[in-house]
Amino acid sequence: MGEAILEARGVKRTYAFGSVGVPVLLGTDLVVAEGEWLAVLGSSGSGKSTLLHLLGGLDRPDAGGGEIRFMGTPIAVTNSRALDVYRNRDIGFVFQFYHLLPELTVLENAMLPAMIGGWTGLASARRRDAEAHARTLLDSFGLSQRLAHQPGQLSGGERQRVAIARALVNKPRVLLADEPTGNLDAHTGTGILELLAARHASGLTMVMVTHDPEVAARATRVVRLVGGRVE
Amino acid sequence: MYAALLSNRYLTSRLIPFIAIGAVGLCVALVVTVVSVMTGFLDMLKDSGRLIVGDVIVTSGLGGIPYGDELVTELRQHPDVQGATPLIDTIGLLRMPYPHGPQKEVSHVQVWAVDPTSLATVTDFANDLYWRPAADSAAAEAMAPEDPRRTLDGTLLEDGKRLAQASSGRPGIALGMHVSVGNARQSDGSYLPRYGWFMPGHDVTLTVVPVSGQGTIAEPREQVFPVVNEVQTGVYEVDRNRVFIPLAEGQRLLRLDEAWLYDLTAEPDADGNYPVIGRTPARVTKVLVRGRSGVNADELKREVGAVYAKFAERIEGDPARTARAPSFVNILTWNEQLRDLITPVEKEREMMRVLFSLIYIVCAGLILSIFWAIVVEKTRDIGILRAVGASRLGVMWIFLRYGLVIGVVGSGIGVLLAWIIVRNINAIHLAIGSDAPSGAWIGAYVVAGGCGVGLLRAAIKGRLLSILLWLLGMLVFALAATLLMLHKGTLIWDPSVYYFTIIPDRVDWTTAWTTALGGVLFSVIGAAIPASKAADIDPVEALHYG
Ligand SMILES: Nc1ncnc2c1ncn2[C@@H]1O[C@H](COP(=O)(O)OP(=O)(O)O)[C@@H](O)[C@H]1O
Ligand SMILES: [Mg+2]
Repeated sequence: MGEAILEARGVKRTYAFGSVGVPVLLGTDLVVAEGEWLAVLGSSGSGKSTLLHLLGGLDRPDAGGGEIRFMGTPIAVTNSRALDVYRNRDIGFVFQFYHLLPELTVLENAMLPAMIGGWTGLASARRRDAEAHARTLLDSFGLSQRLAHQPGQLSGGERQRVAIARALVNKPRVLLADEPTGNLDAHTGTGILELLAARHASGLTMVMVTHDPEVAARATRVVRLVGGRVE
Repeated sequence: MYAALLSNRYLTSRLIPFIAIGAVGLCVALVVTVVSVMTGFLDMLKDSGRLIVGDVIVTSGLGGIPYGDELVTELRQHPDVQGATPLIDTIGLLRMPYPHGPQKEVSHVQVWAVDPTSLATVTDFANDLYWRPAADSAAAEAMAPEDPRRTLDGTLLEDGKRLAQASSGRPGIALGMHVSVGNARQSDGSYLPRYGWFMPGHDVTLTVVPVSGQGTIAEPREQVFPVVNEVQTGVYEVDRNRVFIPLAEGQRLLRLDEAWLYDLTAEPDADGNYPVIGRTPARVTKVLVRGRSGVNADELKREVGAVYAKFAERIEGDPARTARAPSFVNILTWNEQLRDLITPVEKEREMMRVLFSLIYIVCAGLILSIFWAIVVEKTRDIGILRAVGASRLGVMWIFLRYGLVIGVVGSGIGVLLAWIIVRNINAIHLAIGSDAPSGAWIGAYVVAGGCGVGLLRAAIKGRLLSILLWLLGMLVFALAATLLMLHKGTLIWDPSVYYFTIIPDRVDWTTAWTTALGGVLFSVIGAAIPASKAADIDPVEALHYG
């Protein structure tokens, strides 16, 4: 097993409902080693998504509620610019409901993080690189005929593959997937898992959240989130 | 980059932003059109005003300025001065030759006793004389059959230019075009005689009241003048009131002419005459000065002041003179002189600008509400963007840029629209003024019929929105067709009533650009509020609930 790349240290997260605080994570510790495929298993509502959002820098722990470390250094939760860069470059996110932008084409959706990462001129080398990379990814996901389509014209499995291409376009160190097969039928879900497995095989670190033990079984390591803590 | 891509997609993927563009365009077009036309009228007024009084006006009290001819000569020698003319300005009563019978109509008039030759070098006097032969046979053909100008030779024009009736050798009077009721203004801005009174050739009686240097009034004096021509300056106030007579006649009538000066303290001679000590000079009450082109009126005013001061000093220091130049005279530029005329129009224009600019706020509100709805609709997308690394400013920029595009495109369309309207305003005015061509309303009925067919098809399919839209279209076109059919031409600004023949058709570009800038600014302001809301969206919540 490789070095720790992503860590949650005593992370607490409480959601406020009016004056009532509902604790979801009660001091969660989690270490993700480089190159592993970690499955986080937990029942619905156990806080899996919350944990993933925290790992991905989308959400922040409670004040004094622990920290998230990426490659040994705490992610700067107070510096929103640094957090934007972290989300854009270091992490790739895949959601259960794909979350593609309906106005953009398949290719544009896949290129979106690269566009956000910024390039100067239209003809810049970075843009060409990004576009070439997005095309290669979509190609290898069997979507080469769909580049100019709108997400609305695709099936669920196809959309999820576009979402994975988007998550990978900036070559992140870690892919975070929140129930990536949760909205798909078994057959299509298996296809997505195969695709992720292939990525893992070529060296990608993955954290996958699921409530389905069968899906978790594909991973190299499984942890359970119970009662706001990792077991 | 992504912001540009997304704002363009949000723009082109829905209809609502085009309504916003249309609204901004209409606002800008309205302001630019209204202010341009008003600026045009103001410029017209200023131009004609300036052509009536020259660039700088020297005015004395009723006692007048003695040795006015010397002052005029000195002014003419100044390098900045193109022309100068002396005149006397007073009020009088004019007994008209009409109606027939012993009772005659009397008007009060403003009398300008002028030297017509030099007046023509300072004002547009010679060009303002209305009765002149047609320029060529084609122009004559275009005139109404009863237009007197068709048969005129150059005599009236020459008489007018000299203010003298060549046939009788008498000094003549030129009346402002609207002094007499005999001139009926036509819708093309020309005049035809009315009630059988074509004024040139008729005699009128002018009565004026001389005022002494001490301010006491002497016996009124009257003189009969033949009307030699009529004058149209283009400023109604002037044309309604002013008459022109030769300077010498005015001086004589008002006792401002050269006269013997007697010593009333000495013993009269055997015939009862007092001894003569000299002659008092003739006087004028005004001198109009025209600057050379390129000389600024305020500069010219200072120069004229200096020339006058030197002139007054010279007269003062000369013991041989029997009169002194008044030490105080009023020297005004044309702009100051016409302030009463110009200021109200200027104020009106600014009022219009401010009032119409208020609709920007409506535009900004419209954009705000449209964008607010879009931001709410796009909450989830904004969450996605943030999740893949878009910054708050980046998200904000999507919507600000969106507003900017709407503002720029809308303002551009508005300026273009205003340009088209203003350039063609006379044609549009004329089109409104004439009956609608039958093709227009028949066409509109055909379109309404087409909408009816669409309505039927929509009704068969049972689509409520389509039914409503087709119905609306049908009603609008049917209404437009009916209005066009019933429309009988009425000129809004009938030249026979209003005192201008053409509506100014030049876009005021300063206003156009500032208005367009305002349109852009208010669009961005309207967009800024929803854009900030978008930037504040929490990505986790947006993804959770969106
Ligand atoms: N943005 C939020 N605001 C308030 N409560 C939330 C929010 N997100 C999640 N929760 C609550 O936190 C708990 C854990 O949610 P989540 O992390 O989505 O669980 P899981 O992904 O394991 O189903 C749930 O009870 C959920 O209602
Ligand atoms: Mg979840």
